[in-house]
Amino acid sequence: MTVRPPTLRDKRRYLLVRVDPAGTPIDQKELYYAISDAVTALFGDVVAAIMVQAVICAEGDRHIVIRCRRGTERELAIALSTITACRETRIALRIIAASGTIESLRERLRQKAAGRDPSSDPTGDDEAPAGNAGRDWAAPAPADIPPTNAGPGAVQDPLPGGRVIDGKEYIGTYCDGQKVDVIEKGFKNTHRLFLTRSDLEES
Amino acid sequence: MKITDAAVWPYPAGDSSVRRLALEARELGFDSIVAIDTPPSTFEGVDILSGILVREGGMKEVMSRVKRAKGTPAVISVQAGDAGFNRAVVGHRGVHILRGIHAADKNGFDHVTAKMAADNRVAIDIDLSALIAARGIARQRALQRYRDVMVLQNRFEFPLTVSSNARSVLDLRATREVSGLLTLLDMDLPVIERALNGVAEVTTPVPPSVRAIP
Repeated sequence: MTVRPPTLRDKRRYLLVRVDPAGTPIDQKELYYAISDAVTALFGDVVAAIMVQAVICAEGDRHIVIRCRRGTERELAIALSTITACRETRIALRIIAASGTIESLRERLRQKAAGRDPSSDPTGDDEAPAGNAGRDWAAPAPADIPPTNAGPGAVQDPLPGGRVIDGKEYIGTYCDGQKVDVIEKGFKNTHRLFLTRSDLEES
Repeated sequence: MKITDAAVWPYPAGDSSVRRLALEARELGFDSIVAIDTPPSTFEGVDILSGILVREGGMKEVMSRVKRAKGTPAVISVQAGDAGFNRAVVGHRGVHILRGIHAADKNGFDHVTAKMAADNRVAIDIDLSALIAARGIARQRALQRYRDVMVLQNRFEFPLTVSSNARSVLDLRATREVSGLLTLLDMDLPVIERALNGVAEVTTPVPPSVRAIP
């Protein structure tokens, strides 16, 4: 099949999405099915067929790029907000930006990484303001958010040696600024708690 | 305008501390959250309002909880029930929010209750978890019920609130996502903005229309 000339091709839009919580392994195929199910459940097969959504690539450990047809990005964004799990794993998809090219989204990620000490964020994630590439989706405007990054302390283990909370032993799994995620020690049925440094200091 | 999430459930009811919920809520565009059974405070610029939810016990329990909470800044929500109960709740001074309309009786919220809610400034809560987590017939029913509520809201203009009912930071949604979800209920932007400001609207005392001048 010959490739269509650019004027006859479908116009596409790309969404840059962050997967929460940090450290969740991203299986693109599973994520595609989760998104597809969410779109179909909310808008039906007709809109899903018009949308032609696809998971294009994973950028870093936490970001993915999702493609859709131009004009359907609003519906896709709404459907993404209804995703709560991907194959038994609880996740939340946070839309960072939308753009007409993947390259501008990558540029945006690069600018974020450059605007911050890379060592402070082992996951490659960033909440800091970025450039103007792409359209902002997260609210409020990132520039209004005061930085919560604790700098070099962000890579330190928040719970050296673990911590006992309500009779269960927890170990630190992620830390960025005030945010600290801890996970119950064990092999199965381990619960994850989302805390802050203040919580740990007081406990 | 103060954008507020009308109900979150911090640890131990959920898996996130109230401070973490406040931190995430700020990043997602909220100015305040109503944390159920949590003392009021402020963290990183986010107001944490104390919330009381009355789920069972009938009208007697509602009156008792309202009486106990009198003089405190707590936001009092009551889980909706049948039509008679809902009318009694919206007519009771001190109740701020009637929530769970999507799970209440089909005729539990009618035009009479809507008029009373508008007169008494009792907000009707839109629970986003019913739209986010539910699938199939349950979500269809919730959409149907909330669309019906919106028909009455357009007529009587009673206050609305929006709650994520989050038990985890993963259940919170950004204001833009909330706005997108609310457009599924045929809500336009001014109504969405008013709904996001709903908690402030119902908790701010109304200045008296008539003032006695000595």
